[in-house]
Amino acid sequence: MSVCVRLIEGPVGGDPCPCCPGDGDGLDASGHGACLRFDGVVRPLEDGRALAGLRYEAYEPMATNQLRLLAQQVLEEYGLLWICCVHSTGFVGVGECSLRVEIGSRHRAEGLRAMGAFIDRLKRDVPIWKSPVWAGPSSADG
Amino acid sequence: MPGIRWGVHEEACISVLLFGPAARAAGCNRIEVRVPEGSTCAQVREALIEAHPGLGKLVGVGRLAVNHAFCSEDRVIEASDEVALITMVSGG
Repeated sequence: MSVCVRLIEGPVGGDPCPCCPGDGDGLDASGHGACLRFDGVVRPLEDGRALAGLRYEAYEPMATNQLRLLAQQVLEEYGLLWICCVHSTGFVGVGECSLRVEIGSRHRAEGLRAMGAFIDRLKRDVPIWKSPVWAGPSSADG
Repeated sequence: MPGIRWGVHEEACISVLLFGPAARAAGCNRIEVRVPEGSTCAQVREALIEAHPGLGKLVGVGRLAVNHAFCSEDRVIEASDEVALITMVSGG
């Protein structure tokens, strides 16, 4: 069972997490029957107004601690095989990924429930704040 | 008597980190408040509101964190602690 959490500057890229056995050689050995991946993507509109993107601010040491704590709790509560979370800081443009969560579980049911629970808790207890960056010629924050 | 200061309370200067909406409302990312030594999280919260009344609502709904973890209202705050005001978060 493994937990991996990271904050990165800018959008989350498409590379698989090196800590997760999901796409690697450890696949068969992990014993998993479900591999879930959630990508949170910046929407083009906020309250009907066009966005250029979102700017994420984190209280980094605490955000990392909280992510690790929540991931460990969810791993144990749902009996997962692994959970990995990568969250952006700084600017993330429309259509880009700001949050990726990968979960491995023996069966889909606990993996799906764990995914929802982890993201709900992240949105409640991890000190990260976002602010809009509006599209257009006067694209000032706020 | 030497070593005893009847009725005198030493003060501690507590620095509180601000982020996101709270930093924007206060116009800074750190506020210092003076409280009696041995004050609790709840007392630091009251001192914050007194020092920056404009932050009152955010302080009221926010949580205080000490040394990178949320804490209870009766937690005693030391001057060496890293204290932060965590207002409603919006990650994801």
